[in-house]
Amino acid sequence: MDMNTTTSNKYLFAYVDSGQSVKGKMNAVDATDRAATQQEVEAPSLLTIILDTNPHAWALLADTLPLSKGVANLLVFINAHLSINYANRVAVLASHSERAEWLYPTPAVHNNNEDSNGSSAAVQPPDDANKYRPFAQLEYALLTNLQTLLHTTTPAAISSSPSTLLAGALTRALTYISKQSLSTGPSQTGNTSFNYSDPSSVAGGNSLNPSDDATTSRSNQRLTTRILILSVSGDLSSSYIELMNTIFACQRLSIPLDILKLAGSATFLQQAADTTGGIYLSLTTPVQRAGLLQYLMFAYLPDPAARENLVMPGETEGVDFRAACFCHKRVVDVGWDLSIVWESFDDGELWEEACGCCEGEEGEDGGEEEEGWGWRGGDAGE
Amino acid sequence: MADSDHEYSNHSDEDDAGALGGGGRSLASRPKERAQARWEETVNRNWELQEGADGSIEGVLGGLEEASKRKRLLKDTTPLQRGIIRHTLLVLDQSDAMNEKDLRPTRHLLTINYAIMFVREFFEQNPISQLGILGMREGLAKRLSDMSGNPNDHITALKAARATEPKGNPSLQNALDMARAALHHTPSHGTREVVIVLGALLTSDPGDIHDTIKACIRDKIRVRIIGLAAQMHICAEICRKTNAGDETAYNVAVDEVDYKQQLMSITTPPVLRATDTEAQKQNQAALLMMGFPSRIAEERPTLCACHGNLTRGGYLCSRCKAKVCNLPATCPTCDLTLILSTHLARSYHHLFPLKNWVEVPWSRAQKKGSVQCFGCLSAFPAVPGEYQMANRSENGPANARTKRAEGASESSRYECETCGEHFCIDCDVFSHEVVHNCPGCQSRAHPDVAEMPNGG
Repeated sequence: MDMNTTTSNKYLFAYVDSGQSVKGKMNAVDATDRAATQQEVEAPSLLTIILDTNPHAWALLADTLPLSKGVANLLVFINAHLSINYANRVAVLASHSERAEWLYPTPAVHNNNEDSNGSSAAVQPPDDANKYRPFAQLEYALLTNLQTLLHTTTPAAISSSPSTLLAGALTRALTYISKQSLSTGPSQTGNTSFNYSDPSSVAGGNSLNPSDDATTSRSNQRLTTRILILSVSGDLSSSYIELMNTIFACQRLSIPLDILKLAGSATFLQQAADTTGGIYLSLTTPVQRAGLLQYLMFAYLPDPAARENLVMPGETEGVDFRAACFCHKRVVDVGWDLSIVWESFDDGELWEEACGCCEGEEGEDGGEEEEGWGWRGGDAGE
Repeated sequence: MADSDHEYSNHSDEDDAGALGGGGRSLASRPKERAQARWEETVNRNWELQEGADGSIEGVLGGLEEASKRKRLLKDTTPLQRGIIRHTLLVLDQSDAMNEKDLRPTRHLLTINYAIMFVREFFEQNPISQLGILGMREGLAKRLSDMSGNPNDHITALKAARATEPKGNPSLQNALDMARAALHHTPSHGTREVVIVLGALLTSDPGDIHDTIKACIRDKIRVRIIGLAAQMHICAEICRKTNAGDETAYNVAVDEVDYKQQLMSITTPPVLRATDTEAQKQNQAALLMMGFPSRIAEERPTLCACHGNLTRGGYLCSRCKAKVCNLPATCPTCDLTLILSTHLARSYHHLFPLKNWVEVPWSRAQKKGSVQCFGCLSAFPAVPGEYQMANRSENGPANARTKRAEGASESSRYECETCGEHFCIDCDVFSHEVVHNCPGCQSRAHPDVAEMPNGG
């Protein structure tokens, strides 16, 4: 099943590539420059969706928006994305309470036995002449994998954590995106593609002249990527560092992180969307949740190139940029920072920011504090 | 690259004048079986490639590509104390020697290009630091841009510097003195660094450079030098003395790639030494107060405190509520450092570096049965036939297989030792250099949870 779908995706790409070589030959025949017409072809877009399947949170939403209805709306949205450009692709990940799994494309089975040849059981969707084949395959694969995921969830797994592994899902999405960008982007001078061996390279080019990249015809073959997160969980501060690492990676690779929050508090996802240039929307009332498909289509269907020409929602709200104290995980807007980043072996604990509450207890010279502020520093006026 | 020739290893430091007549040092002849100089070991010897058992060199070539990708990854990942508030001065050589064309297009233009990339990467990795740029031209030190935290100022200045023709001789002493003056007023909780790019083989100074070196040591300034031509003794001495005996602060770039790599490695926050932390504890300059403002959007435009422009949005200082336009900034009213928590979070990956992944031999690949990369779902090469049999002897066809290049895994799989998942080389490079997370460790809350049947 997975072989078929990946083949069909690769087939779509092969079509684009062979078309160009035919055009190259035709140039010699009638001396017209067909390269110029390539500019009008839109760049293929890879949309990666991370579906938060946290059972606790979805259980709370069960009366207004059950998971089945949410997934049905999501499938319509995915079909719309695939319809816009025949070369568009999609990948879906599930972020569960104790693991992050692929829903689409289906990963292959490990062959632990010597006799199996490593191919997964190829399941085909039932033949339906009225359904467009790629849509049918995607829907079948996604629903099968989601059902397997939910059936193999043990009660111990659910009770282990009320949160979800969003950082893991984001990391897997990023490695997948990086590989897809590498394999579809032609590696010429490496000017516009991201060069991993170079620590300072930035997607969109290392060239110091910004007008260099905009006019190359190669730009329309480059894969544009974005990530959409459908989040229902609240507190994500347990994996704060890993989540920030993925957000900075997205920023570096110019991958917009769009976030649609169905439930739960915003914590750091609003900052994530703002930093990477994505859209953040939060649906709080049942009426809004009932319009899930409309929100998806309106806000998240246009790709970043189209968004420049449209008035997008979510831009005029303020963003909460406050930080969390390391020791108490409370949100603060004024804190104390260490000037160095270090791991302390003497105290036995690790700290970088300290809120005012614990400031007084930690110092070895706590008696010198004034007015309870106690901020130390040789150049206090700095 | 401290010793390019082992004969000169006993060269004494203080004895400049008397070294030529030094006894016991053979000048002309080298011993018969001379040990390979260190630089020779890294030379790429393409003509010595060995063919595989089936006559093809594809295995070795594939291994070479993977090995070169991984070479940069295998560095020390011990968590160490690092200074994240850095005050750095970049000193560029603008003397006659920079007109040489051994680095394309000329040394000067390439340096300016790399300096622009350096500025961008520096502020990305160290958002709350400050940078200044100086140039050495005609025996004088010129200020190209002042110490500031805004990368655009520096990039504009560097682009303007492209137009000035390099001329004259460089002066290390003048550059160091100007750097000392610029760094004099920086607070002690930050690091003080000078990075010098020197293409010339001389320095023409008005006085005794050793006095300047002593003053730098007193001011706790760390100097790093990147040479473009050849090793110079005075450069090695400056770097060694200001870095408390650390020999690795002075390097000579062998080609463009090496030059860029060395320049970019400076963007990593420097490791603090024991002497620094002692001084810090004495100063008690350990904690700084910082504000984390939130962004506001207003209906009507109001004046901002930093420029005096009418804007409809910005950040309000947490203490005095003055509006500033960009972060990181210092509040113009109450001098509170205002930053986003994301600026600090950029340094977290130094605090928890991702452990290196190990290469997977065929036996382990067979045991684990991985068919695709955990991160990107791309297929691995299948385990070859001789490993499929249950009783596998250690001799025989396994040893006839050509060893792939050092650093590359023979099965193209790389394993994270914590979670046991297998990855491809591209995911290895990507995870260690860009994301700093292991996909396997992050996707499993408890590694002993039973895996899904479809091997996810």
